[in-house]
Amino acid sequence: MSAAVIASATSRITAEYVNPVIAATRTVFSTMLGATANRTGLSLRTEAALSSGTSSGVSAVIGISGQAAGTLVLNLTTSTAIEVLRRLIGTEARDVNAEVCDAVGEITNMIAGHAKAQLAKYSLSISIPNVVSGADHTVHFPSNVIPMVLSFDSDLGPFTIEVGFSNLPVG
Amino acid sequence: MKVLLVDDSGTMRTIQKRCLNKLNVNDIVEAEDGVQALAAFETGTFDIVLSDWNMPNMDGLSLLKEIRQRNTTIPVIMITTEAERARVVLAIQAGVSDYLVKPFTPDGLREKLERWVGCNV
Repeated sequence: MSAAVIASATSRITAEYVNPVIAATRTVFSTMLGATANRTGLSLRTEAALSSGTSSGVSAVIGISGQAAGTLVLNLTTSTAIEVLRRLIGTEARDVNAEVCDAVGEITNMIAGHAKAQLAKYSLSISIPNVVSGADHTVHFPSNVIPMVLSFDSDLGPFTIEVGFSNLPVG
Repeated sequence: MKVLLVDDSGTMRTIQKRCLNKLNVNDIVEAEDGVQALAAFETGTFDIVLSDWNMPNMDGLSLLKEIRQRNTTIPVIMITTEAERARVVLAIQAGVSDYLVKPFTPDGLREKLERWVGCNV
C-alpha cells in the first residue's frame, strides 16, 4: 500500500470514524470522571509496531458489528485504571482487581456507545466489554486491519484508544 | 418503594444504588443480567425497574418485553449507552417508561430517578 493511499485512507477514517471516538472519549471522561482528556497523538499501528505493540496495565476490548465491523480498545496504565474506579465510586484499590476491571470496562462501553450513536447511519452494535490486565499483554487485531492509535493525556494519567475496522463502507 | 436494579456492571449498580439511597430508597434488589432480573421479578413485588440494555444472557430490551407480558403498568426505566433514535424507538415500542443515556451527570441521574421515586423524598 503506497504512502499516498495510506494517507488518503487515514484522512477518511479519521473524519468518519475516529473523530466520533475522540468526541465520545472527551465526553465520557468529562461527564463520568470529572476529567479533561486531551488527544496528544494519532498514528497507525503498523505491522512493525504490531510486533512490539505490547501494552501494560489494563485493556478493555469491545467488538463492533454492523455495516462496519471493528474493534475498540481502551488501554490504561495501572494507576490510571485504579483512579477511574476511585473517581466513579470512591473506592481505593491497591492494585488491579475485579472492581477496577469492571469500571474500566464500563467506561469503555460508554465511549463505544457514545461514538456509535454518532455513527448511527451504519447501524452498529457493540459487544459486552472484555477486560485484560497484566504487565505485558497484546491485543491482536485481524490481519487485514491497521488500527488507528489515539494517544491521550488526562487528569487521571495518559491512555490510548486503538480502533480498527475490517470492512469500512465507502463513504 | 422496592426497586429492581439491573446492570452487568457492579460499578454502575453502585452509582445508581447510592443515588437511590440519597432519595431514601433502600429496598433494592440487584441483578446482573436479564435472566437474573426476570427470576427476581417473578418471585418478588417491585414498584419500579431500572435496567441496562447491553448485558449477557438476556439484554435489557428482551427483559423489558418479558416484563410487559407480565405487567403492563410497572415503570421500567432504561439506563443505557444505546442512544440512537432507532434504539430508543425500539424501547418505546416495547413499552419503556423512561430513558436515560450513559454517560450521565450525577444531577442527571438524580433528576431522572427523583421523578419516578420522588414520593419517597
